[in-house]
Amino acid sequence: MPNEKNIKNVVLDTLWRDNPIFRQILGICSALAVTNLVLNTMVMGAAVMFTTALSSLTVSLLRRWTPRVVRMMIETLIIAFYVILFDQTLRAYWPDMSRSLGPYVGLIITNCIIMGRAEAFANSNKPGLSLIDGLLSGLGYAVVLLAVAVIRELFGMGTILGIPMPFFSSNLWDRWIIMVMPPGAFFTLAIIVWIFRTLQFSKQIEAKGTGK
Amino acid sequence: MRLRNQTWYPILYMFVLTLILSTILIVFGIFTHQRVEDNTRIAFERAVIEVLPIDLPDNISTNQVHQLYTQLIREPDSSSGTALRCIQADSFIAYALPIQGAGFWATIKGVIGIARDQKTVTGISFYEQNETPGLGGEIVNDAFRGQFVGKQLATGTVPLDIRMTTVPVDENSVHAITGATQTSMRLEEFLNAELTAWQQIITGKGK
Repeated sequence: MPNEKNIKNVVLDTLWRDNPIFRQILGICSALAVTNLVLNTMVMGAAVMFTTALSSLTVSLLRRWTPRVVRMMIETLIIAFYVILFDQTLRAYWPDMSRSLGPYVGLIITNCIIMGRAEAFANSNKPGLSLIDGLLSGLGYAVVLLAVAVIRELFGMGTILGIPMPFFSSNLWDRWIIMVMPPGAFFTLAIIVWIFRTLQFSKQIEAKGTGK
Repeated sequence: MRLRNQTWYPILYMFVLTLILSTILIVFGIFTHQRVEDNTRIAFERAVIEVLPIDLPDNISTNQVHQLYTQLIREPDSSSGTALRCIQADSFIAYALPIQGAGFWATIKGVIGIARDQKTVTGISFYEQNETPGLGGEIVNDAFRGQFVGKQLATGTVPLDIRMTTVPVDENSVHAITGATQTSMRLEEFLNAELTAWQQIITGKGK
């Protein structure tokens, strides 16, 4: 298989070299929307991991029978199927979280990361590798989201996972309300993208310098 | 391979795949439907129980909520307007008025408790809202809801006033949530509309 990569490359690409958030800037709509609480972000991250992994697996399993002319419709159908499954599970077994995430779970269907992995990877790779690629792409998304959420909840509310943090929950810290509002997400995400890209760039310079 | 070259193959393929996935979702929906319905009902019952002037155990379970609701709550009648009636040991103790209206992002649904004097607020609770977490979403927290207990409903178009935190409150008013002006304003608007309509019904001025 010419497009197959080994697992090490998949791990490096999805989590670092081609991280969906700070490298490809994909799926940031939900990254901005749900990151004012760490718990919500964790569940959202789990939802994206679940959907990306299983939709990549399904797309890969069906790739030999899927006609190219309708492949994107098929991919959207498969993604929607897993998102609805997750959403319905939340409604039934974790209603508080379902109410808290509101429409954002449903909007995972439009998350470019999932369609991106189906098109760029699962369509031309074996099911096992596609499952790992999908799972780790979701993880790459979730980790960056979590970093944004920790900063926003801590500075904006003085808590992490609802637990009051020393200093930040005391009278010494004046809550930065803007951090839990949409602009706070833009500032935080931009700073995180800047930091990660600077780190990546300095690694590349180092690699060039050592001739690797 | 010959099958894949047929012009109708993509249509048939889409149809079959859609049929399979839809069937799984429908079956899963049927399997979880009752649970989803129960969750919605329990959320409402919990909100009703929370606004009543009764002592509740900490971390009250879902079963206890349902039991209490069944024991204490009666459907509205002509004397209570649109409010549910709470009857304990054969004596009427409070009204539980369901309220709902547009919030900042989506509809807010809740219940306000009113004592038998038809004036004293016994509590307020929200069982459905999608306000900004950390800002408008704070309406569900005790710090905000606790302010309503003991407040007196004024007559007129503004039975309860939600004021900025810089303005002192009186017996008919509570403080808004800092940084959640839109949620506070919208809540005040629909809460007062619901209360005014209810007051008109029970005093015989409304329909």
